[in-house]
Amino acid sequence: MIEQILFYVFAAVLIFAATMVITARNPVHAALFLVLAFFNSAVLWIIAGAEFLGIVLVLVYVGAVMVLFLFVVMMLDINLARLREGFVRHLYIGVPVAALIVVQMILVLGSGAVDPGALPDATLPIPDPAETGNTTVLGGVLYTVYVYPFELAAVILLVAIIASIMLTLRRREGVKHQDVAQQVRVRKEDRLRMARSFGGSGSTSTGRNDNEHPDR
Amino acid sequence: MIELSEFLVLGAILFSLGMAGIFLNRKNAIVLLMSIELILLAVNFNFIAFSTFMGDLAGQVFVFFILTVAAAESAIGLAILVTLFRSSDSIDVADLDTMKG
Amino acid sequence: MTTDAFEIPNLTLALPEIWMLGVACLVLVVDLFSGDRDHTPAYWVAQLGLLSAALITVQAQWGLDVTTFDGNYVADAMAVVLKVTVLLLTFLAFAYSRDYLRERGMLRGEFYLLSLFSTLGMMVIISAHSLLVLYLGVELMSLSLYALVAMRRGSPAASEAAMKYFVLGALASGMLLYGMSMLYGATGSLDLAAITDVAAAESRLLLVFGLVFTVVGVAFKFGAVPFHMWVPDVYQGAPTAVTLFIATASKVAAVGLFIRLIGEGLEPLHGDWQNMVLLLAVASILIGNTVALVQTNIKRMLAYSTFNHIGFIFLGFVAGSAEGYGASMFYAVTYSFTVAAAFGVIMLLSRQGFEAENLEDFKGLNERSPLFALVMLLLMVSLTGIPGTVGFYAKWLVIRSVVDAGVMWAAVFAVIGAVVGAFYYLRVVRLCYFDQPEAEGGPQPSGSGGFRFVLAANGLSVLLLGLFPGALVAVCMAAFG
Repeated sequence: MIEQILFYVFAAVLIFAATMVITARNPVHAALFLVLAFFNSAVLWIIAGAEFLGIVLVLVYVGAVMVLFLFVVMMLDINLARLREGFVRHLYIGVPVAALIVVQMILVLGSGAVDPGALPDATLPIPDPAETGNTTVLGGVLYTVYVYPFELAAVILLVAIIASIMLTLRRREGVKHQDVAQQVRVRKEDRLRMARSFGGSGSTSTGRNDNEHPDR
Repeated sequence: MIELSEFLVLGAILFSLGMAGIFLNRKNAIVLLMSIELILLAVNFNFIAFSTFMGDLAGQVFVFFILTVAAAESAIGLAILVTLFRSSDSIDVADLDTMKG
Repeated sequence: MTTDAFEIPNLTLALPEIWMLGVACLVLVVDLFSGDRDHTPAYWVAQLGLLSAALITVQAQWGLDVTTFDGNYVADAMAVVLKVTVLLLTFLAFAYSRDYLRERGMLRGEFYLLSLFSTLGMMVIISAHSLLVLYLGVELMSLSLYALVAMRRGSPAASEAAMKYFVLGALASGMLLYGMSMLYGATGSLDLAAITDVAAAESRLLLVFGLVFTVVGVAFKFGAVPFHMWVPDVYQGAPTAVTLFIATASKVAAVGLFIRLIGEGLEPLHGDWQNMVLLLAVASILIGNTVALVQTNIKRMLAYSTFNHIGFIFLGFVAGSAEGYGASMFYAVTYSFTVAAAFGVIMLLSRQGFEAENLEDFKGLNERSPLFALVMLLLMVSLTGIPGTVGFYAKWLVIRSVVDAGVMWAAVFAVIGAVVGAFYYLRVVRLCYFDQPEAEGGPQPSGSGGFRFVLAANGLSVLLLGLFPGALVAVCMAAFG
């Protein structure tokens, strides 16, 4: 009973948050509502018995991906008013179509078509949660049965790194930056010059002048 | 006890919200990316629900990979967004100024 | 627990993919340390890697039909044909685009790197034997392609095209995933063989529900009408080198995706998806032909005419028979090599600060370069499907399979579509041969000797395939034998 109440409370907040994500005026608000949606989803997943995924959702999504979103939103100086153009115009078509899709999908999924009793047998059964934890079980299959997808996921992450760097890294002219390799490679002769001293008081600045105009 | 169909309906609602988000926010590429996240979240709900009710682990493994790929996807999506903003000073994808369909 | 029964996977079987991953990583390192401004070492490593991967694929996998990695990976004849095609297309794309990219300051190591990773993704799709691996392969391919389209930084058109491609591609992945989740719920397994078994045993509403989403997702990836909105913009906005890659290799991979997931995996539901696929095919031929007629930009024209060919590929799927799949595969393979050469000619005529994008640029090509005017003639005639060319055999095989499946009206429609296609393809030929060039003389062919040699060889291979199609037809049919 308590489980059911929790489910409905979190599901309601989740749907509210998701609605706000797509209707919010300000992208920052939308991102924060998406965070709320992820938190509620994580709780629902834990209720459903997928503890590890619930925690990963919070750590990876809320912790990393959404922060990335917020970074980009705040980094770009976006004209908020222009973003809303056409929203109302699309609303008249979008909302009825979306409502229709929801009703149709609920008719299929909410009806007797999905009878839990008639579900097929598990091919990769979950062992008793009291004996083996969810994380252990997932780890067990991830590095054995699913080692091929696991390696592919690694390649996908590598592609993401390469692509993001290629697209966003730019060497801007006139920006001072440090080149450590060049600093380490420097030799004494490059920096130090023995200035001939004339002994007189008026010529002490010769060395510095030489530095500024090396061809003189 | 929570029913399987309740989870699936929740997934269907989230999926439709994500789709609606894509059609409503044609001008706002950031919210477009967030709508895609909602669609993937809906799919994850389906997999976890089936996984729980069948007692089968494969669904949870799939969700693990969807989370990984979605993170990579948002990284690339945001990178493209940044190049779009740098080159045209807006994140508008609906105005086909340069290309006519 | 299942880990007790875990078998060490047969790594030699998956050697082509492992080899490609190694090549990609080698290119990454070589390019990092070479310091060559033209990225010559990376280019040669990539090209040699692609050719050797094609050889390894044939060596390691021809004539087999086995799975490994706990049923996640399959090696069979179909995989060999499609993988070798994809590898050779990537080879051609690199060979054609080198001068083009260098002149535009876009020649960067990342181009080779991301294309190689995309190729790896295509190979993964082609050899996938579970929903999970199919999904990861699709994402590996698509994510690299999104970034490649956006490669021309500072160009609003390229960024806009990339953003559109990304959003619609991600939407397609979402659809595909939603369908996969339903298939999983209905069958309790991610393994395609297990899904086929359960689907054959009983028909469920959930399965058909998942099928609809899956077909839509795959159609999106193909760019079939009515899920085609992204194709013309991406073709036009992306650098021609990337357009070439998307228009050829990714279509071949999409054929693999369709046959693995829907053709073989959901074979028992053939009655349910037959009409959906037929509808997509007919809509694609119709829209593709009508809109291609009025295009003045040759990249857009090729984009719209792609729909025509996608329609033919889908028609081959309609039958759901070995002959039908073989015909579709033959069509996709020959079409992609033909179109690759057509893009090669476009890049040959482009030079710094100038894109040979408009049809007018081809006026009087015969006077400027008789050889490449002849190549263009061959390609356009083949794309039209005039008897004696390879395009004709491809169309004929597809139409025969449709007739065998008993859908006469679709066959008649396809023939009409092919005739309409002649108008816009032969218009290019007319421009090349019978029209006078514009006042300033029109674009001259550029490009290095190697480029010209590969392009001429590609055109010649289209000619030879038209004269002797038997061997490739036999290979494609044997793949489903």
